[in-house]
Amino acid sequence: MKTMTALIGALVLSTNAGAQLSLPEAIAEGKPFPAVVLPRLADGQPASIADFRGEKVILHLFASW
Amino acid sequence: MPGWHESTLELQKQGKIRMVGIIEEQHPDRARLFMQWKAMDWPILVDSLDLLEVTYVPITVLIDEHGIVRSVVSPRVDPLVALEGFVDRPFDPPEPAAQEAQAPPDPEKLRASMDPGSVADWRELAQALLSWGAPSRLDAAIDAYTRAIDLEPGDGWTRFRAGVAFRARADSERARGDDFSRAIEEWTAALSIDPNNYIWRRRIQQYGPRLDKPYPFYDWVAEARREIEARGDAPVELTVEPRGAELALPAKKFAAGEAAERDLERDDRIHRDPGKFVEVRTVVVPGTKSDGRTARVHVEFEPAQASDAHWNNEVGGLVFWLDPPEGWSVDRRRIELDNPAAFLGAASEEVRRVEFEVLGPSAGATQVVLPAYALYYVCEGVDGACLYRRQDVEIRLAFTRE
Repeated sequence: MKTMTALIGALVLSTNAGAQLSLPEAIAEGKPFPAVVLPRLADGQPASIADFRGEKVILHLFASW
Repeated sequence: MPGWHESTLELQKQGKIRMVGIIEEQHPDRARLFMQWKAMDWPILVDSLDLLEVTYVPITVLIDEHGIVRSVVSPRVDPLVALEGFVDRPFDPPEPAAQEAQAPPDPEKLRASMDPGSVADWRELAQALLSWGAPSRLDAAIDAYTRAIDLEPGDGWTRFRAGVAFRARADSERARGDDFSRAIEEWTAALSIDPNNYIWRRRIQQYGPRLDKPYPFYDWVAEARREIEARGDAPVELTVEPRGAELALPAKKFAAGEAAERDLERDDRIHRDPGKFVEVRTVVVPGTKSDGRTARVHVEFEPAQASDAHWNNEVGGLVFWLDPPEGWSVDRRRIELDNPAAFLGAASEEVRRVEFEVLGPSAGATQVVLPAYALYYVCEGVDGACLYRRQDVEIRLAFTRE
């Protein structure tokens, strides 16, 4: 028999329902979008939003859920 | 997002705008299936580690031709209204020019030049290994995150990313028994550091109890596949099939399972398996709310390699019985798993899983050992004895009330 324990108590978390969700400082109007390099979904190759310079970009940060 | 796509199709065709996505979820190929379903053929970048450090999604950002953020748009705004004054207006280039994209870091070079006492160096190495390393580098990435956490346990981002790495390994062929449990521990630690981070919160809720779910996470997958197939296309294959909690609908009330009849005396006489033939792993995923008395429990059963054990699929499947003490409720007291159709009549060694939910009392005890047992047919060795066995399982839960 094996037993594992999770301490639910460690995660009694308060959600500040009134708090406004904020963006990281690096994503701000008038600033360059962070040039972070990320894998492309299609092939895993490195890519960045900076690769689209010269085009007007509508960027969606999202999850499929 | 599909609304944005449809509203701006003409602008996209004219080459006036480029739609780009960055996904912030654990399993990127699920987003790929979603894009295929919605016929949205955009370039997508993967940010499972949340390197952009956003605390929620969705976020829509308008970026000009020089790479400068011009506005961050509310998802409630009409897309065409949001684009007024952006699409046709030329923007002045910034001084100095925005930074160009950098090459991805080389883990080997990072390792060679790193300071073993530097938290930042361990984090950077872990990130590089996870983003750009082969699957075989997952172990090294987890080791690097663990070292960073040892040096600075209060850094929520590192705790979150370590959780991502543990879950990635749990979903891989390199899985270790406690990977899922460690992922939940790390995400929980991260959320206790910043409870307002909804990317971190969602990772727990993805696997957590229905009372804590804001929405079903992947219930759309079946419909997506049907519609894609109806179009004559083959749906994108998923490396990890969503299951259990990932498909469960949110609930506003806890529905306790009815007691089911059984022969306790008979069950007590069944040959015990002390864990020699089937290894049992239990992961408790808590609710994330402050009044959380609920949790979802994931129980995995795996034939023990040391005994060369395997499931006997010639007879009945696995049955799991739960006995909650007074004041505690479970949503199901009896869970039955059929033998997988693919293995009927043949031996198999796959991991079998059950999930159930628990609700603790509103007052009084905050800890409990939940007794349970599993009944299954398991064989020892390829030509060894196949017996119906019982394994007792204790599930320990501990809530903290505010």
